Amino acid sequence: MKKLLLCLLVIGLGIALFSFSGLAKQGEFQSIVLDFREEVPAAQIQAEVSKIAQQYNVQPQYNSEFSASDHVYVLKGDRQLLNQLKHSQLAKDTEFIEPNYLYRVPSGDTIPTAFPPAEASPTLKGPNDPYYGRQWNLHKLGVETAWDETKGSGVTVAVIDTGISHIPDLKDTKFVQGYDFVNNRVEADDDNGHGTHVAGTIAQSTNNGYGVAGIAYEASLMPLKVLSAAGGGTVADIAEAVRFAADRGASVINMSLGGFGESQILKEAIDYAHAKGVVIVAAAGNANQNSASYPARYPHVIGVSALDAAGEKAPYSNFGAGVDISAPGGSAAGGILQETIKPETGEGVFAAFSGTSMAAPHVAGVAALVQAAGVKEPDEVLNVLKQSARVIQDDALNHFGAGHLDAAGAVKLAVQGQITFRDFFRWLRDNGYLNPRFWIDGGAVMLLPKIAMVLGSYLLAWFLRVYFPFRWSWSLSSGLIAGSSGLFFLRGFYLFDSPQWPFRVLGSSIPELGNAIGGSSVLNPLFASVLIPLGLIALLLGHTSWKWFAIGSTLGVASCLLVSSVVAPDVWLLGQGAIARLFLITNALLCYGLARLAVQGEAA
Amino acid sequence: MSITAIGTIQRSDMGSGTWTLVTDSGETYELQQGTAKELLKPGLKVKVQGQVREDVMTLAMVGPVLEVKSFDVI
Repeated sequence: MKKLLLCLLVIGLGIALFSFSGLAKQGEFQSIVLDFREEVPAAQIQAEVSKIAQQYNVQPQYNSEFSASDHVYVLKGDRQLLNQLKHSQLAKDTEFIEPNYLYRVPSGDTIPTAFPPAEASPTLKGPNDPYYGRQWNLHKLGVETAWDETKGSGVTVAVIDTGISHIPDLKDTKFVQGYDFVNNRVEADDDNGHGTHVAGTIAQSTNNGYGVAGIAYEASLMPLKVLSAAGGGTVADIAEAVRFAADRGASVINMSLGGFGESQILKEAIDYAHAKGVVIVAAAGNANQNSASYPARYPHVIGVSALDAAGEKAPYSNFGAGVDISAPGGSAAGGILQETIKPETGEGVFAAFSGTSMAAPHVAGVAALVQAAGVKEPDEVLNVLKQSARVIQDDALNHFGAGHLDAAGAVKLAVQGQITFRDFFRWLRDNGYLNPRFWIDGGAVMLLPKIAMVLGSYLLAWFLRVYFPFRWSWSLSSGLIAGSSGLFFLRGFYLFDSPQWPFRVLGSSIPELGNAIGGSSVLNPLFASVLIPLGLIALLLGHTSWKWFAIGSTLGVASCLLVSSVVAPDVWLLGQGAIARLFLITNALLCYGLARLAVQGEAA
Repeated sequence: MSITAIGTIQRSDMGSGTWTLVTDSGETYELQQGTAKELLKPGLKVKVQGQVREDVMTLAMVGPVLEVKSFDVI
């Protein structure tokens, strides 16, 4: 019996080991890479290569024209041949013999360049680009309505990225001279695929019966290559590129790149470009963390978070401080489709990428449209973008900044001449929409209900005083504020690299404390009730001055609950309807009654 | 800043894609140009010693850039 059990155990272990994917399938490969040691003479390498060719009937070849100097050969073969080679004489003359693994094309989702010939339909309102139907991101912006006014003509957009290649679907797009800061030359072609994709979102040739559309397709592109084929670059090169763009007439800069270190050289370059009237847009970053990465978080840079096709924050997108607005960036369910290059061959390919890298060029493209419509100054362009954005309610974590980017609304606002509204919006921004420059960034605060709550609480206090005269005191006033609204202006503060909940707590009234830490707007029925005021009065009634704080906060809570019941009756477990409303009004009346009792005791 | 980290090599498909080291404690570092190709295999468990490059920015933006000085496959 013991033997049988042991046998079963061994068999079971064997099955488990062989079916373990980490061991059984370590990646796909159809060829093998040989890298000869540097010190092995060329003649000896030749001899060994022809020996392999004979012995195993294969044809070793250089991997590319750059491989000769490194002595890197590639030959067709499977795992069996790989093992034979590893155990042969060859092993001692090579640095490594290993599988030439196949890695997926980044972000996978590419669709073939070959498609049926497109026929422009004169009845069609949209552009005749055959893949326009797949560009959900452009439909979301309402870009066709924006095109009724302008297509970005006369504006130059600098794309600071991996370069831009002249693929077929950029044939009709205008270019101005750029620069390759990686290789120090004038031609700034792309060797990665990222920069060309980003440029496509901004100004892909549109209505040309081919491929896909871009947002500001009559604008000019300035290609500035600062990122290598591997996708990275130094802040020194990026800063030079920003100054180059500002000096050579670009009025919008797109930076779909980011890092985690602050850099004075880049910050100064951005200040320089901003002073020259350049709108600077950057991606918020893809680490799904609170606070945008650099350069998006610098002053004068419009930080862009990414949305998926459903309009939610994309799972990877950064949020919080530094996010000014949100735009489509795509997700696994649907990426952003543009024509770019295959980095291996440099040929054009239609590929769907996702990232805040893809979201930023949407904002850069719409900024170009806004400039073409007549609003030039960077701060005013930002105002137009923010004021026209579709506001998202209950955005306690600042996922969306001012809201979802709206091309149609932005161009409309720019064309109308925002002068009529400007003063009103300035007032709104200065009061409710705080945007201090360097380390604090702003989010909208529900201003009017808050004012109603504070005024309401004072009104209730005044009402009580008519019947039971008492003196105004600081403790009463602070109680009124704590109960009704809290220091609500603090709620819109987003501090870089720190949690947001302390501001939400400070910015919340007593009834809102139950939902402040989680950042929800649904009231917690335990906190949004007469319970806390009851506790406060019971605790503090004996104290001559704190008693007034308790009375004040009781009146404040009454006002807060009353206003909430009218404006937004939304209570956890009770819903948003009549039940929640009744609950809030009942508790408000109980609070008022409680305060009245407490004051009555005082007066008597 | 010089660091030593233990983690797993992963391919990220943000933007046009990049290589990352996801440490056992959950931090993501982006591996940049010049990383040995022996290291760039998805799922490879490694101990890496390297320099965090604050002066480098990338298109993938998934984490601080790590310049690998040496590594051991675990």
